[in-house]
Amino acid sequence: MATTVAVPTRSSALRVRVSKTAIRGAEMAVGTILVILILQTVLRFNLLDEDLWKLYLPSFLDGIVLSLRYLGIILPLSVVIGFTIGWARISRFRTLSWPLSVFVDFFRGVPPIIVVIFAAVLGPSLLPARFQSQDIGIIIAALTLAMHSGAYQSEIFRAGFMSVPRGQLEAAQSLGMTNGAAMRFVVLPQALRLSIPPLANEFAVVIKDTSLLAIVGGFELFGSSFIFEQQILFSPGNQLSWIFVVWTAVALVYFVMTFAVTELLNAIDRRYHVKGLEAVTV
Amino acid sequence: MIRVEELEKHFGALHVLKGVSLEVQKGEVLVIIGPSGSGKSTLLRCINLLIEPDSGRVFLDGTQVNRRDIRPEWVRQQVGMVFQSFNLFAHLTALQNVTLGPIRVLGTDPTTAGAQGRKLLARVGLADKADAYPAQLSGGQQQRVAIARALAMNPKAMLFDEPTSALDPEYIREVLDAMAALARDGMTMIVVTHEMGFASEVAKRILFMDAGRIIEEGSPEEIFHSPKQERTRMFVGKILR
Ligand SMILES: Nc1ncnc2c1ncn2[C@@H]1O[C@H](COP(=O)(O)OP(=O)(O)OP(=O)(O)O)[C@@H](O)[C@H]1O
Ligand SMILES: [Mg+2]
Repeated sequence: MATTVAVPTRSSALRVRVSKTAIRGAEMAVGTILVILILQTVLRFNLLDEDLWKLYLPSFLDGIVLSLRYLGIILPLSVVIGFTIGWARISRFRTLSWPLSVFVDFFRGVPPIIVVIFAAVLGPSLLPARFQSQDIGIIIAALTLAMHSGAYQSEIFRAGFMSVPRGQLEAAQSLGMTNGAAMRFVVLPQALRLSIPPLANEFAVVIKDTSLLAIVGGFELFGSSFIFEQQILFSPGNQLSWIFVVWTAVALVYFVMTFAVTELLNAIDRRYHVKGLEAVTV
Repeated sequence: MIRVEELEKHFGALHVLKGVSLEVQKGEVLVIIGPSGSGKSTLLRCINLLIEPDSGRVFLDGTQVNRRDIRPEWVRQQVGMVFQSFNLFAHLTALQNVTLGPIRVLGTDPTTAGAQGRKLLARVGLADKADAYPAQLSGGQQQRVAIARALAMNPKAMLFDEPTSALDPEYIREVLDAMAALARDGMTMIVVTHEMGFASEVAKRILFMDAGRIIEEGSPEEIFHSPKQERTRMFVGKILR
């Protein structure tokens, strides 16, 4: 059973991996186009309807830009929050563990939509009057979404840390490493690798959850499209099938963002994958 | 080289070490045997201060090392340890396992550490496995990498905690051979093992431990063939069978 596996050189391995991502992307594109073609036929709309896009394009693009901005805040912040809490809960800072577990349980137990409403309404009132505005409310709501996801991610990172066997830390210590060095060079690299796949799932949820900001006035892609849709509905002479176009286009953008982010994490996972690492820790 | 005086250790209400004393000379191999739960692992872990003893003294080269003003990391650097479950760093190759300590603890530059690491892997017969990950190695190979990893720190003494008891029978020999070679090269070793053949061949003295105490001490001949204590006799009878 002593298997000798040729370890590929770094450059050739990388080439294989890059093309894997490309293949996945191509497969996904073909599948998506097929689904859209079928939808178009059944529901009788044309995704590339010029008359509609003349009207819709500005809202669409503004929405995408705003979505990306929110994500640019929420995703990195949620990772920082999640990692910090996950780390703190397994580390020696036991005194912090109780309040942190309350934080985590709170955000896991409350629907994000309610959290967003409370944050946007109450958040600004906690600030001095000159800072109060709807924009501030939206930003606070976005930060709260980051906390919400951070709560979930803290459990992902905590599980990652806990699935590194205790013997790994002991072996590092037995070489004379300090706790810090053992963490950094032995435990952390393994814990992070184990956290990547569940993290990809969580990111997919976060991306879609940004649409919740629309209900408090954060008109990212979902919100701006919703407002536009209301205009079509109430303007005489517009075709109802345009509604399908709008929502198909919106869904497509969320899909692409989600696919891009999760595929990026998957690529990192493949890049740093170590044969047998999961097996050791099961 | 290593001296231990009156070590005491409790885990909560459990009294695991009840005044253990021992001494190992430079270049000597000491074997410890004893039933499960008798405190053998705890004793080894107290010697390299992976566990802090409640009381008692641990001396390395005549210096007491379980003192507030001595960093335990400094002690562990000088006393290598090999574990029953190998504990190779799962995310690193065999060579990286061997070089991590020198690079990160001793500050050896990676090129030098790499060259030394390859020599050590060759010494345990694994020159061709430098780039394999632990999961790609057999148990015996992993344990030999673990020995090389400990040796890379250039330790004054080595502790082995049942290094072969997690191995499939066909891999035990290669690990014991590597350890015997080490002993021949003059390494000071404390070995917890129930491999009587190895003990008889390599060790001058054997300690029998039971319930946190050293019950009997003697040459392999004495302990295995004419033990004085009834408990030793019963235990030896069991492992001989
Ligand atoms: N970290 C710990 N916390 C609590 N109890 C422990 C701890 N480590 C060991 N013990 C207990 O101390 C006793 C002695 O354990 P130890 O591992 O030293 O025995 P051992 O002689 O090595 O046994 P074995 O042959 O099974 O390895 C056992 O009852 C064990 O359950
Ligand atoms: Mg033990």
